[in-house]
Amino acid sequence: MGYKVDFKQMNHIFEQLSDEYDIYAPKRFKKQGRYSDTDIVRYDRVENIEDVVFDQKSDYPAKEVLSPITQPLFYFTEDEYRESKVNDKKILIFMRPCDVHAMERQNRVYLQNGGFEDFYYKRLQEKVKIVLMECCTGWDTCFCVSMGTNKTDEYSIGVRCLDNELLVEVKDDEFNSYFEDAANDDFKVEFIEKNQIEVKIPEIKDKEVLAKLKEHPMWQSFNSRCISCGACTIACSTCTCFTTTDIMYNENMNIGERKRTSASCQIDGFSDMAGGHSFRPTAGDRMRYKILHKFHDYKARFKDYHMCVGCGRCTSRCPEYISVTKTVEKMAAAIEEIEREGK
Amino acid sequence: MNHDIDIKKLRINCFRQSKVAGEFMLQLRVPGSLIEAKYLQIVQDIAQNWGNGTFHIGMRQTLNIPGIKYENIEEVNKYIKNYIHDIEVEMCDVDMDVNEHGYPTIGARNIMSCIGNSHCIKANVNTYQLARKIEKLIFPSHYHIKVSIAGCPNDCAKGHFNDFGIMGIAKMEYHQERCIGCGACVRACEHHATRVLSLNKDGKIDKDTCCCVGCGECVIACPTSAWTRQEKTFYRVTLGGRTGKQYPRMGKIFLNWISEEALLQVFGNWQKFSAWVMDNKPEYLHGGHLIDISGYPKFKELILDGVELNPECLVAEELYWTENEQRANIHLKPLSQHKKAGPKE
Amino acid sequence: MNNPVKPIPCEIIDIKKESLLEYTFKVKTDIQPDHGQFLQLSIPKIGEAPISVSAHGEGWMDFTIRSVGKVTDEIFNKQVGDTLFLRGPYGHGWPVEDEFKGKHLVVVTGGTGLAPVRSMLNTCFENDGYVKSLTLISGFKNEEGIIFKEELKKWKEKFTTYYTLDRDKIDGWNVGFVTDYVKEVPFDSFDGNYAVVVVGPPIMMKLTAEKIMSLGVPEEKIWVSFERKMSCAVGKCGHCRIDETYVCLDGPVFNYTKAKYLVD
Repeated sequence: MGYKVDFKQMNHIFEQLSDEYDIYAPKRFKKQGRYSDTDIVRYDRVENIEDVVFDQKSDYPAKEVLSPITQPLFYFTEDEYRESKVNDKKILIFMRPCDVHAMERQNRVYLQNGGFEDFYYKRLQEKVKIVLMECCTGWDTCFCVSMGTNKTDEYSIGVRCLDNELLVEVKDDEFNSYFEDAANDDFKVEFIEKNQIEVKIPEIKDKEVLAKLKEHPMWQSFNSRCISCGACTIACSTCTCFTTTDIMYNENMNIGERKRTSASCQIDGFSDMAGGHSFRPTAGDRMRYKILHKFHDYKARFKDYHMCVGCGRCTSRCPEYISVTKTVEKMAAAIEEIEREGK
Repeated sequence: MNHDIDIKKLRINCFRQSKVAGEFMLQLRVPGSLIEAKYLQIVQDIAQNWGNGTFHIGMRQTLNIPGIKYENIEEVNKYIKNYIHDIEVEMCDVDMDVNEHGYPTIGARNIMSCIGNSHCIKANVNTYQLARKIEKLIFPSHYHIKVSIAGCPNDCAKGHFNDFGIMGIAKMEYHQERCIGCGACVRACEHHATRVLSLNKDGKIDKDTCCCVGCGECVIACPTSAWTRQEKTFYRVTLGGRTGKQYPRMGKIFLNWISEEALLQVFGNWQKFSAWVMDNKPEYLHGGHLIDISGYPKFKELILDGVELNPECLVAEELYWTENEQRANIHLKPLSQHKKAGPKE
Repeated sequence: MNNPVKPIPCEIIDIKKESLLEYTFKVKTDIQPDHGQFLQLSIPKIGEAPISVSAHGEGWMDFTIRSVGKVTDEIFNKQVGDTLFLRGPYGHGWPVEDEFKGKHLVVVTGGTGLAPVRSMLNTCFENDGYVKSLTLISGFKNEEGIIFKEELKKWKEKFTTYYTLDRDKIDGWNVGFVTDYVKEVPFDSFDGNYAVVVVGPPIMMKLTAEKIMSLGVPEEKIWVSFERKMSCAVGKCGHCRIDETYVCLDGPVFNYTKAKYLVD
């Protein structure tokens, strides 16, 4: 069913929904940007439709709702680890098509990889319903069309934001009741067909080419360009890596918390082991590791699609102007060179 | 050529004497050092019609046109009427009558500033907007004051060598739940600032708030927005810096964490303070010297008179400058030569 | 809902000093790992780390831990009767049944790399005929680093052994690297019916494998065990990933045909 509601009506619906749902959406945090007098847009609980930022791509991805940057796993004593709790409300998340696909990719890692289900991710993910934010124009770092993530069917509600009203497409019958008083409309979500950027993801045809690509000098150019801050991976819709640490509330009584914190393969120390061994010592090595994961390794493991969804947040957030799509293009040229020389 | 010229009057009119007989250099004020590029046409016109075809970017960020003959000054002053009106009245909301006689005074010097956060990634504040607000408070006045505004404590604007050096600073907020313990802020603080951050055993950041200079390097370095600036902007103000042939010195911190509102009130008292020191008779003497004559405690009393300081603001109880005396015992002189503050009998 | 990262408390029933830096902790547990698998071992307030099982039996398991990093530093404060927390076992261990049993087995270890093969060596020792022959080449940096001294001595009885220290000369020990001794192994006489296990620091494994291959050993007969940083051990945290391979899930034991491509 389709509807048309003004913001006032929508806020009333938000109020009704909030009995059962926590609603998350991209929200503006004024003057909290990297540079002064700039804002950031990131996911948070919202109570009003006015809080939902439609006209800008969020700086940080939707994944923060299901895999927050930090979360408690256990509270422990000398002889017990007790799981942290979450509230029992369901979760409604405003997402764009790329974000929906990104969640799919995270599901693969958190819910399937190795046959293990992550308890903490699952208990949130299984409560999620999606409000799809129609996204027909994108921004200058987007390349979802190239990654095949510009369209999706996986949503309960689809919305288009007009000046102060919303066009709504309800796909999940459960939500029709909330719109009983709304005017009918034949709105159906539309999708972007062409981005400003197009990128062709190169095939790496075998292990030999991969081995040569890893050695290719192109990666070394990042030793001077990349500052290894990890902003790209925190901004990435699909990165899942984390580190587990224990913190003490009381040293004497041995009570504390085991928590999970997002980790970045771009930051020096990611691979450090207790014995002193570590891998990928240079920024170039780490960039290669990230790019290959997004555009080769993940697909090699899980088959059908690449990890990257083309949201472009890594490019947008990079303080050193390193473009992921330009990097992929350089990689494609390197592969061509390797194959040419191999003949 | 006219050999009977009142060069002091011309100086107040913002025309500086040249070593070339009969020639002067016009100094156009650019408060906050940022104006629309269209005004470069005015500089070019003056330089080509009345000057020697060159212009100099003034040391205080004025636009200087040298080689103007004395007999052309009247015409030049007529020509710059619109510029003065645009810049001072329109842009800075200065309360003044603009006439065909050029600048009414050179007293309060051009307010310098770095580009600030209208461009610079390091800046915490919009420097030119603040400069325009201060311009309204100190100009036109015959009392000398040199002000320079920097967007951050790096002080590229060299406020440390001005009577008042203003630096935009920020109070930070630490969102612990967003911190991944990467240590980028710790390294940035150590490299660029005062080493007030450290990584604790829980993988989070400890901060020595006391020694934080409020530069925002931690915010710039943070990959997760765990560090953000608070919405309200603050300023640090150094006092009494100067260059000079006698006793150059670097300004010392007078105010820290002052709000813009309170800062503007401080500048609102400048003329009153100067008038008291000089007994209402302006002289060609810079602000720092007036503070020397009055002494810091008296200065503090008068400049903060009626100012509603924000609760975060810290004020120097005492100030002890370190001068670089250009000759030994430069301050030793007969008592009769000592300058006296306040009403003359 | 099952939580795969929830640690289970286990009582420490014995602590044995192996060397200056290494201790073996014996814990009471019913977990029965395969040879070469590892567990996540955690101590409240310090954290978790992957540790390979150095021996196991009915109702017990041994972990040999080197005193490095904060986890292991703290573990040395533990006493018999205290609790350790475990979860696992994880990963793929040595393919003993499919690839080693009934063959000539050559085991080359560097330093604490001896720990993940210890239980397998004991199985071969205790069950005559389990393997056709066993050659053990074990190297350590110096005398202080030698672990499982008694067992090394015991193994001499049935295995062909080459024990070596990098530089120091002591009684009964050779001097040099393990790579210097692999040429002593009569691979030609094995009639193709053999397997080689190499485990130790990354560079040791690479150089040893290359050396062995230069002696005509095909790469598919070589098996190695990787050690990587891990936070979860269940394929989520990403730390141990190399290309499409997760060491925690697909390893830590790899055939060299695969391992040679695992460039970090």
